[in-house]
Amino acid sequence: MSTLEFLAPVAAGEDVVARSPMEALARDAGARFEVRDGFNVAISYPAASYGETVSWCDTSHLPKLQLQGSSKAIDGAAGIKLQAGTALRRDGAWWCRLTNERALVIGARPSELPDDVDVIDVTSVFASLTVSGPLARECFARFCALDLRPAVTPVQALRPGSIGRQPGTLIREADERYLILFGWAVAEYMWSVVADAAGHLGGGPIGVDQLSERNMSHQSTPNTDA
Amino acid sequence: MSRLEPQPGERIDRSKRISFTFDGKRVEAFEGDTIGSALYAAGRRTFGRSFKYHRRRGLMCVAGQCPNCICSVDGAPGARACIEPARDGIVVQHVNAEPSLEHDVMEVTDRVGTKFTPPGFYYKTFIRPRRLWPLYEKVLRNAAGLGKLRHEQPEREWRTEYRRRHADVLVVGGGTAGLHAATAAAKAGADVVLADEGLAAKLADLGELATAARDAGVEIIEGGSALGNFDGLVPVWQGDTMHQVRAARHVFATGTIEQPLVFAGNDLPGVMLTGGALRLAQTYAVAPGKRAVVATTSDRGLEAARALRELGVQIVAVADLRPEISELGRALRQDGIAVFPNYTVVEARGRKIVERAVIGAMNPTFAGTEHTFGVDLVLMSGGAMPATSLLLQAGARTEYDERHGHFALAQLPDGVFAAGEVAGAVGEEAAARSGELAGLRAALELGYGDADSRGRVQVLETAPTEDGDQVAVAPAVAGAGRGKCFACFCEDVTSKDIGLSIDEGYDSIELSKRYTTVTMGPCQGRMCQLPSVRLMAQHNGSSLGDVGVTTARPPWVSVPMGILGGRPVEPAKRSSIHPRHRALGASVKWAGDWRRAYDYGDPAAEALAVNKAAGLIDVSTLGKLLVRGSEAGAFLDRLYPNRFSNLNPGRTRYGVISSDAGRIVDDGTICRLDDDTYYVTTTSSGAGAVEEWFSWWLADWQMDVRLTDLTQGMSAVNLAGPNARQIMSAVSDLDCSAEAFKYMDGKLGTVAGVNALVLRIGFVGEIGYEIHFPAAFGEHVWDALMAAGAEHGIKPFGLEPQRILRLQKMHILVGQDTDSESTPFAAAMPWIVKLDKEQDFIGKWALAHYAELPPSTALVGFTLPNGDVPTEGAVVLGDDGSAAGQVTSSRHSPVLDRTIGMAWVPAALAHDGAKITISDEGRRLAAEIQTRPFYDPDGEVLRS
Repeated sequence: MSTLEFLAPVAAGEDVVARSPMEALARDAGARFEVRDGFNVAISYPAASYGETVSWCDTSHLPKLQLQGSSKAIDGAAGIKLQAGTALRRDGAWWCRLTNERALVIGARPSELPDDVDVIDVTSVFASLTVSGPLARECFARFCALDLRPAVTPVQALRPGSIGRQPGTLIREADERYLILFGWAVAEYMWSVVADAAGHLGGGPIGVDQLSERNMSHQSTPNTDA
Repeated sequence: MSRLEPQPGERIDRSKRISFTFDGKRVEAFEGDTIGSALYAAGRRTFGRSFKYHRRRGLMCVAGQCPNCICSVDGAPGARACIEPARDGIVVQHVNAEPSLEHDVMEVTDRVGTKFTPPGFYYKTFIRPRRLWPLYEKVLRNAAGLGKLRHEQPEREWRTEYRRRHADVLVVGGGTAGLHAATAAAKAGADVVLADEGLAAKLADLGELATAARDAGVEIIEGGSALGNFDGLVPVWQGDTMHQVRAARHVFATGTIEQPLVFAGNDLPGVMLTGGALRLAQTYAVAPGKRAVVATTSDRGLEAARALRELGVQIVAVADLRPEISELGRALRQDGIAVFPNYTVVEARGRKIVERAVIGAMNPTFAGTEHTFGVDLVLMSGGAMPATSLLLQAGARTEYDERHGHFALAQLPDGVFAAGEVAGAVGEEAAARSGELAGLRAALELGYGDADSRGRVQVLETAPTEDGDQVAVAPAVAGAGRGKCFACFCEDVTSKDIGLSIDEGYDSIELSKRYTTVTMGPCQGRMCQLPSVRLMAQHNGSSLGDVGVTTARPPWVSVPMGILGGRPVEPAKRSSIHPRHRALGASVKWAGDWRRAYDYGDPAAEALAVNKAAGLIDVSTLGKLLVRGSEAGAFLDRLYPNRFSNLNPGRTRYGVISSDAGRIVDDGTICRLDDDTYYVTTTSSGAGAVEEWFSWWLADWQMDVRLTDLTQGMSAVNLAGPNARQIMSAVSDLDCSAEAFKYMDGKLGTVAGVNALVLRIGFVGEIGYEIHFPAAFGEHVWDALMAAGAEHGIKPFGLEPQRILRLQKMHILVGQDTDSESTPFAAAMPWIVKLDKEQDFIGKWALAHYAELPPSTALVGFTLPNGDVPTEGAVVLGDDGSAAGQVTSSRHSPVLDRTIGMAWVPAALAHDGAKITISDEGRRLAAEIQTRPFYDPDGEVLRS
């Protein structure tokens, strides 16, 4: 085993399943699960139909890598200059510059990364939820002071800040879809915060398959794959 | 009934009748009525009883400004009848009167108790005998107040929505100026929010303007009260929603507040502000009275007199405080109304409501000039005070304006604009221009608008302005000595009380405010700020400008505390194994910002299981930092008093972090994973602070080091006990033999099929493996270890048994056994300080200093022979009986079956066998010092 391999939630054994910190809450809400890439993922909810309001989807299974290195090295790894405040979509992942010398890749593990960047798997450091729907912004307004007006936070905007009184990171993935990252240990709390706000607006949880279906029919993910 | 014929613009819908009850009696109303207008129309004049004297109070402002009509609606206190909409079926009740509003026994306070209840009376007249104060307090609290909370907690709860709203421009105030400002800014391209607490009431007049604003894209928060200005954050309370509006620019068009006059009996029901009477008549078509005297400092009162006369109210006299009669005054005289220039109202008389009004010439005694009229209404207009509170909170400054007799805006901070009457723009046209100008300026500052906008600003800036009518400055008080003259209706503060406060030394407006509580009631100074300043100026012989105003503080509107409470979801960190603790019935408690399993029902048995068989504890809360880079070892050498650059890969070392002053701030273990990589653990509560500490120094030192906080990403469990090795061997691919996996080794391997870092360390004093692995596998690894340990007697153990076990080994808990003054030397850890390190490290200078000065106290262990367990924090007594130290930890050890503990004691006593006395809540306990661990003192078990 290489030195940092133990940090990645990639099972060494076949019968080992990784779990989201919100799995119990998703189960209580009626989620149907399926193991995908070693992760037990909530793929659907029988009663979910929140197309006109707001929904949230547990996307904690998404791989997340932290890149550390010089600014130039990080740009080299991304294949394009990464701008602070903007998430770039490439190879099925969001590439996010957090500081000059630190970036986050969310959604995929790039097959090859140059040696001059230090790569640490932080998949289970950050849990995540995807909040989507026409009332998504209104939902965030209930627990988050980030300015999400379209003029200030356009699609692809990357906004670190306080989300539900916790340190978090927000990416506006599409017109009405936001991905939020937060600490793995506060995931249960964060679910309750989002559920409290979204539920009052008539929303509810959806699974990742339902999120994909909604994206196909309602949303337009920016075609920014470089 | 005193309903008038239909009025143009009235808000009531006469085709829709509703009813509600007031104190159990049915009251008829129209839809659109307020509770106050319906009750007034039904003949009610007494709406409440005052705070202290329980005097009758009636409608005065009819605008939600004063406290006179506070009532409870459906059990919820704090509603103002004059603005609370009447709804079918609601139950309205009076407050602060027993047994009834009409017959209030506490009215005796007004009649005979006044001399016992001066300002600050609870410091004067109810202080002896001291033991009776709890009784006095109960009686006083019961007698005072403006309502009672509902008894049952569920009835007190409601859902409040908190809605953050960012905007380019926030306009507060939905009158002519505010709506023009909002529309102008929005048309220029800005994102605009407008909040107005009474917009719905104004829509009859301003409907077109409101529509224009909405069409321009303005979000209008109707019925939204701006509570304050917190560095640009303006909370706007709208029913069950609290909007938290953060705008780049602010326009305040908050208008002015008509002021009462201070005279004898100025609180009798039937004494009203002219604006209040007009609102009753014009908005709700309710006649405020039949015969009225009007007293005014400006044409405002004269206009009201004329309007009310046209509605059928007989105006028997107008006392105009100005020395010269105005044009409007002359017109009124021609219409047959007696207008008395240079007169004021001196007294209102009556038993339950006003029956007579006395006016007199503006001279000190009124001698020979008094006229008395039989009336049921006294209307007063004591000037218009700009509503500057929110502006002052934003950083504006006011100055006394001699001409208008009030405090006017003198300076605005950047990014803040004022429009309309609050800015001195009197009249509709001036307000519209002022609003448009403020809105355009705000938008232009943000880069919106175009050349036309800039041109329009120039036009508006050069437009002629009017200075408004000449007004008289109201006297501080008239009719003093004839009865109570109220400066503050909320807190029942009279003109005499203000004088008394000054006589007793509270001679500034801020001190007087604190002493008398003037301006501290529900009106928040709207009705009493100016009167109290006038009284103070008169009593001190100073100018109003020198007296100044009190500091404007939020909330500008009285709000239920629950509105400010936030949603009931509490941030908490939970380990990924937490569902298992729940399933096992753990007692869960706070540990820092984590929810942790404290025990599983029997902490002693859990501790014993660790000593006798095996135990498993979730230690995921430990801070975990990955320190990487070619200078990682050197970096740690600078941060810790001991060395890490010489630690071999695969080995672990204990470390204490000290402050610049050499005090212990945290501790933990550091495992070197490879030449450039260290895995650092910290205490659970210190994780955040240590990460900040590391980052701060790294930014300063600019070393080739990279930090990653893995605290939440890595689960950790500690498997400990005599059988731990067998259990580990069953689930891990690591060779767990004593020879291959030594004490303080750190190895990478798999545990239950999961890649993990395993540290052989022993905080609890047994053979132990601290296993670190990705949090996503938390439950899996826990389950596997518990399953493998079943045949070896494994038990889960929580925080409490862990504390017993570590105490047996005399392992310190930073923050419990140490405090901000503890050094490693005094805490019996001199071995950890490597002063011979060639390089500098944090706290080296201080620690070198301490090394030469033997500590006066020392942290040691102690035992008690008879089973007593002293309280943590109990005092260790010195030879002379004085406090000489304290107990930091104490428990009963199940495996040793005796009391053990740690304490700070005088250094002279820090040797085995020394006797100490512990004073613990009246008990004197004899204890014996022990300097070596109570359990396995030589560490043979730990290292085996």
